[in-house]
Amino acid sequence: MDPTLKLWLVIFVVGALNFLSRLSFIAFFARRSIPPMLALALRYVPVAMLTALIVPMVLPGPPTVVPDLPTPKILATLVAGVVAWLTHSSLKTLTAGMVALWALQALYAAIG
Amino acid sequence: MEIRTARDRAPSALESGRQERVPRVLPFFVRKIYRSKDFREGFADMLPACVGLVPFGLVCGVGAVAAGASIWGALGMSAIIFSGAAQIIAAQLLAAGAPIAVIILTCVVAGLRFLMYSAAIAPYLRPLPPRWQRALAFLLTDQAFAAAIRRFDAGANPRAGGLHFLGAGFALWLCWQITNVVGYFAGNLVPASWSMEFAVPLCFIALIAPHFKSAPQVGAGVLAGVAVVALDGLPMRLNLIAAGVVGILAGTAIDLAQARWTRR
Repeated sequence: MDPTLKLWLVIFVVGALNFLSRLSFIAFFARRSIPPMLALALRYVPVAMLTALIVPMVLPGPPTVVPDLPTPKILATLVAGVVAWLTHSSLKTLTAGMVALWALQALYAAIG
Repeated sequence: MEIRTARDRAPSALESGRQERVPRVLPFFVRKIYRSKDFREGFADMLPACVGLVPFGLVCGVGAVAAGASIWGALGMSAIIFSGAAQIIAAQLLAAGAPIAVIILTCVVAGLRFLMYSAAIAPYLRPLPPRWQRALAFLLTDQAFAAAIRRFDAGANPRAGGLHFLGAGFALWLCWQITNVVGYFAGNLVPASWSMEFAVPLCFIALIAPHFKSAPQVGAGVLAGVAVVALDGLPMRLNLIAAGVVGILAGTAIDLAQARWTRR
């Protein structure tokens, strides 16, 4: 498929489906409440989906290879996770994670 | 005489000084919204969140370059999809050459969390006209949702809360477009040693950390994380969606088991 066509198809189809998800209970199902089983399953969408995105971004290289030393990214992720859990602040999480990563990278470079 | 009468008349709302700064070319309803205190407060309330989104937006712009998009394609992604997670997935999978059905499916599963936000905010938006509901639904994001729920819970009436939501959503949308475009053109100027791409997992961590309080949520996260690594061999990055489904099922199963256990 032509790459430009593919890109625009993704943009419009994902855009439309995302919009319909956002509008769903505001407009279409406004008069009915959310089915209990669906509500239960939806509760776990953010954690499950976002964790599946986070892990490959943090692990070095192919994720099946377990690094023998915890890399700066893994340690900085743990620091950010603790800060996020304690503060619930995205700015503090971002700052703590980035500063931890830079400090650990400098440390690892210094000790070789 | 004329000066006296002009001063004696009480200034009407239309004559307040603020109106002068609103461009005349804008339609009436846009000027009315722009003058609203709630809209401006919503806009201002989101500025800290916008600062936090800057690196994420830049990375999304860089991702659009990697996916081979033109500047219009990059803008289409940020303006129409308007979801960082979906844009990152789409850019990664486009760059990896995944089939279109896999790209759409993975993006839509990541977007299922909007169903939850939609259900949670719907009772507050019910009194508003359909046009407003559609506009606010389009602007429904993780950050705007959190801010709007806070405002409505603090007792805002539907109209004031809606205007606040519109201001917040518009601030986020505008910031998202600017950062995506800057990332598209200038993202590669940021030195690789700064590891800017690390801002994306950090933003996601900030979103999910508040959920890590109950056994089902922790189970959903841990199993999704293990599954995405274990299923790395799957083609077309199908491990992302498979791990997401594993996590959702795990959380639901633990929740049901817990409910049954406590009922006994």
